[in-house]
Amino acid sequence: MEDKSKKYMNPYLAGVILGFIIMAAFFFSGEGIGGSGAFKDVVKTTVTSVAPEYSVNSHYFKSAAESEKSPIKTWLVFEILGVLMGAAISGAFAGRLTLKVEHSPKITSKTRIIFAILGGMLFGIGSQLGRGCTSGAGLSGMAVMSVSGFLAVGVIFGSGYLFAWFFKKLWI
Amino acid sequence: MKEELFVSGRDIPFIDPVLHIWHWQIPLYLFVGGLAAGLIFFASYFFLKGDENKYPVAVKIAPFLAPIVIVLGLIALVVDLRHPAYFWQLYTNFRIVSPMSWGAWTLGAIMPLSILWPFSYIYDIKDYFDGRLCKMPFKLISWVIKMIDRYWIIKWIYDWSIKLRKPIAIINLVLSIVLGVYTGILLSAFNARPLWNTSILGPLFLVSGISTGAAAIMWMAKDHNEKIAFSKIDLMLIGVELFFIIHMFMGFLASSAVQQEAAALFLGGEFTAVFWGFFVFAGLIFPAIMEIMELYGYKIPISIPAFFILFGGALFRFIMVDAGQITRFLY
Repeated sequence: MEDKSKKYMNPYLAGVILGFIIMAAFFFSGEGIGGSGAFKDVVKTTVTSVAPEYSVNSHYFKSAAESEKSPIKTWLVFEILGVLMGAAISGAFAGRLTLKVEHSPKITSKTRIIFAILGGMLFGIGSQLGRGCTSGAGLSGMAVMSVSGFLAVGVIFGSGYLFAWFFKKLWI
Repeated sequence: MKEELFVSGRDIPFIDPVLHIWHWQIPLYLFVGGLAAGLIFFASYFFLKGDENKYPVAVKIAPFLAPIVIVLGLIALVVDLRHPAYFWQLYTNFRIVSPMSWGAWTLGAIMPLSILWPFSYIYDIKDYFDGRLCKMPFKLISWVIKMIDRYWIIKWIYDWSIKLRKPIAIINLVLSIVLGVYTGILLSAFNARPLWNTSILGPLFLVSGISTGAAAIMWMAKDHNEKIAFSKIDLMLIGVELFFIIHMFMGFLASSAVQQEAAALFLGGEFTAVFWGFFVFAGLIFPAIMEIMELYGYKIPISIPAFFILFGGALFRFIMVDAGQITRFLY
């Protein structure tokens, strides 16, 4: 079989397809797409079941603790499961599905994993302060012409561009 | 949560209004029992077929996991007991109508045989672990080999374990099927729990257990042909499992009201998402898609489908034990 592992989809085409996916999500689920929301729901479910007393007293977990249905029973949790499995299948189709840590040759896998976890944690906190992440607040927000959506995308990419300079040694 | 006002003169905590005496220990035990049954079944079957060198991991290497996971399961069972010191009383009689009696005696017989089997292949297992990142198994096996050389009695057992491979394989082949079926029959013998009280549970748990065994073997296999062979076997088993699951629900829906209500837990009730989403989709269909792609020549890290099959197999038992305790005749 020919090596297809280096061939990626045209990014502009992928962007247009992503737009159609948001439309489909609104049509079928009545909600947009999102990433951080799914993790938030998993965290809420875990906290409300492990520490029910704490969650009732906490402002953040209160709504989940008092809700009738399980906080994990949301469209976003299933969407993210689909994203993970779909990504695995799509990666396999392109011959890219392997278990490895990708990093710059100048740093070790360990450094990469530590910074990835730190980045993920900051992203989690940021997405909760901003009430959504790139996909939830940004893409889904822009799709419904919300000002905050446009603002979020601008600030996310702007600050990303700015801060990339400080961390460029991790990559180049 | 559905609130329910229950007025009764009975006071039976953990049983009334909902049976809630089996926690994580029982499903974990049922899972490892099925996994061990699968590992032992393939080892015995392919040994008797003469494919010892064609499928070396299945016959010689993977069975060493079986006694380890059985012990883990038995520890879980003992933790579950109210009076752990009395467990031996199961071995003071044999009741042909009691699945628990069958299970206790099957485990009692399969345990020493499942230790003897990998013991007879100890040099092959040593080679398998040679040069691995984790040095512990290699050191442990080297120590056992040293013991063989040092003590004549261990050497004697080792020599006999090699000579007795064929009779052990024949007995193990039968016992592994009994073990696999028993993990399901154990539940279906509860005629007061409508979800469990279906005869399809025995074959369903057997197939699911053997499928997890095949997944463990293909994960451990080094040789591409062996991986592919077990991938194909697993694919077939997933098909059979889906067939049984569909027929289990058809059976429930065609049965009495209590069993229809038991099925409703999975068809719109509280176990719907976790059963169909996590077990049927993530634990059966998704790994099946990966395995089909592998057969068509796509490069798939075998650990991904293998992990999801093992995960699905464990989750299936947790769901069945949990949901089964909710179902009842009390309406």
